[in-house]
Amino acid sequence: MADGNDANGTARSRLTRRALLAGAGGGVLAAPVLAQRLIGDGMIDLGLPGGPSERPLTPRFPGKGEMVVHRVRPPVLETPMAVFDQGTITPNDRFFVRWNWDMPTQINAAAHRVAVGGAVRQPVSLTLDDIANAGDHVDVVAINQCAGNGRGFSQPRVTGGQWGNGAMGCARWTGVRLKDVLAKAGVADGAARVRFAGLDVPMVDGAPQFIKSIPIDIAMRDDVLVAWGMNGESLPLLHGYPLRIVVPGWFSTYWVKMLSTIEVLTGDDDSYYVAKTYRVPTAPVTPQDKGFETVPITAMPPRSFITSHADGAVIALGQPLELRGIAMGGDAALAKVDLVGAGLELPCELGPDEGTYGFRRWSLRIPEVTGDLAQIGARATNANGITQPAEQAWNPSGYARNVIERISLRAQ
Amino acid sequence: MKHWAIILVGLLAGCDSRPDVVFADAAITLPDDLTELPPGPGRQAVVENCTACHSPSTMLQQPQVPRAKWESIVGKMIETYKAPVDEKAIPDIVDYFVAVQAAQATNPGGSAAGQ
Repeated sequence: MADGNDANGTARSRLTRRALLAGAGGGVLAAPVLAQRLIGDGMIDLGLPGGPSERPLTPRFPGKGEMVVHRVRPPVLETPMAVFDQGTITPNDRFFVRWNWDMPTQINAAAHRVAVGGAVRQPVSLTLDDIANAGDHVDVVAINQCAGNGRGFSQPRVTGGQWGNGAMGCARWTGVRLKDVLAKAGVADGAARVRFAGLDVPMVDGAPQFIKSIPIDIAMRDDVLVAWGMNGESLPLLHGYPLRIVVPGWFSTYWVKMLSTIEVLTGDDDSYYVAKTYRVPTAPVTPQDKGFETVPITAMPPRSFITSHADGAVIALGQPLELRGIAMGGDAALAKVDLVGAGLELPCELGPDEGTYGFRRWSLRIPEVTGDLAQIGARATNANGITQPAEQAWNPSGYARNVIERISLRAQ
Repeated sequence: MKHWAIILVGLLAGCDSRPDVVFADAAITLPDDLTELPPGPGRQAVVENCTACHSPSTMLQQPQVPRAKWESIVGKMIETYKAPVDEKAIPDIVDYFVAVQAAQATNPGGSAAGQ
C-alpha cells in the first residue's frame, strides 16, 4: 500500500486517481478468477462471478491492518483470505467487521450500563465491573462468521453485502457466562428467549433496531458469554467494546456488540431481524419461488479452505506437494477433512484442536505430482456427520454458504 | 469460587480487591468514504436521498439486477428502514443505478472505486 497508516490525504488522492482513471476507460481487467488476486494500487479482486469484483484494500481503519472495504460507513470490512494461511487464530487487526447501523465511536466506561429486564425476578442495571464480577472468567476459542459470508459467490447472484469468504474469523473470547449475568436479575418462570440490544441504533425514527434473540436453552449454555476480551486484549471498538455476546457455533448475527440491554422473553421474538430477516428456507427453493416457509439462521455448518495455494497456481511435476488449509466443524467439532476432486479422495492430517468451535489446520502431502490437479477442494465433516456439499443450495439471501471451495493447480 | 479468584488476583496486584479486568474509556475516528459516485443520470437524487445513512461503496458493489429489483430496494429502504426519501426522487435514484450497472457490465471486474 502506498498510503500506509498515516496520511488520509495520500489515500484520498490515490483512490480518487484510480476512480478517475477507470472513469476515463483506463481499467482493462482480466476475467475474475476464483481466488483472490492482488491487482496493485491498493485493490483486490474477490473473484465474484459477473462482478463488480474489485474492492479497495486499506489499512486506514483504526486498529486495523489491510482490510477489504465493502462499506466505509457504517463499516463493513472483510479479511483477505491470505490471513487464514497464517494461523488458526485471526489477529484482531485483521478480523472482519460488520455493523448494520451507524456505530458509536466513543465509550464512557464508567457510565456504561447493561440493563437486564423482561421476564426476570428483579430488573437490574449493571456496571461493567458488575458484569466482570458476575461469575467465573471464561475463555472460549470460537469462530465468528457472518451469516452472509460468501454471498458474493451466490449464483444467481443476490443483493446485499457482497462478501467473498473472508467474513469470518476465529478468536479467543474472554468474559463471563451469560447465565451468570442473567442470575443477577433472576430468570422468571416461562422464559423462552433472551434478546440483546447494543448501542448501535437506527438514524431515523421508526426503523428497526438491530436486536437479536436466542432460545433460553442456548442462553444458559456454559460457553455462551458476555465477553470483553478478544485474543487477550480488550474488545476493539470496531468489534463491540465494551461487551459483546458470544454464541459459539452460531452465526455472528447473534453476537450483539456494544451490549446495553438483555431482555428475557416469554414467547416468540417478533422483532424485525429475527422475524423478517436473517432467515433461510426450510426446504430447497429456486429464484422463482415466493412465499415459502423460513426459519431463523442459527447454527453454522462445516467449512474448509485451501490456504496454501491460489487458484491457478503452478506446482512442480514429479515433485511432492504439500497442501494445507483451515477447517471448521460449525456447531459441532470437526471430525475430518478430505481432499477431493481430480479423482482423489485423500484424508488430511488435522492440526492441534484448540476447541470445538475454532478453526483447525489441515495438511496433506501428495508424494508425487503426476499432472494437473483440476477442481480440487477440501471437504470438512463434523462430529454430527454433516459434510460439506458438492453443490451449494441457493437461497434468496445468500446465507450459510458451505459448498466445497475448489481450486485448480497446474503441473509443469 | 469466583470471589476467591478475584481476591487472589487482588492480592497479587497489591492487596486491591478490584476485578482483574479494567474497562477504560475508548474512542476512535473512522475514515471518510473516498469512493465517489460516478457521474450518471439521477446522481444528485442519490446524493440527496441515500448517502445520509450509508456511504457509496456498497451501493456500487451490487451484482447486475433488473430495474424492478432496484425499485424494490429503494422501496425497502423507505418502508422498512424509514429512509426519508423524496418520493419524486425514486425514479431518478433507480435510473442512476440502472445506468451505473450498465457501465459496470462493460467492465466485469470493475469496483466501486473504479467505476
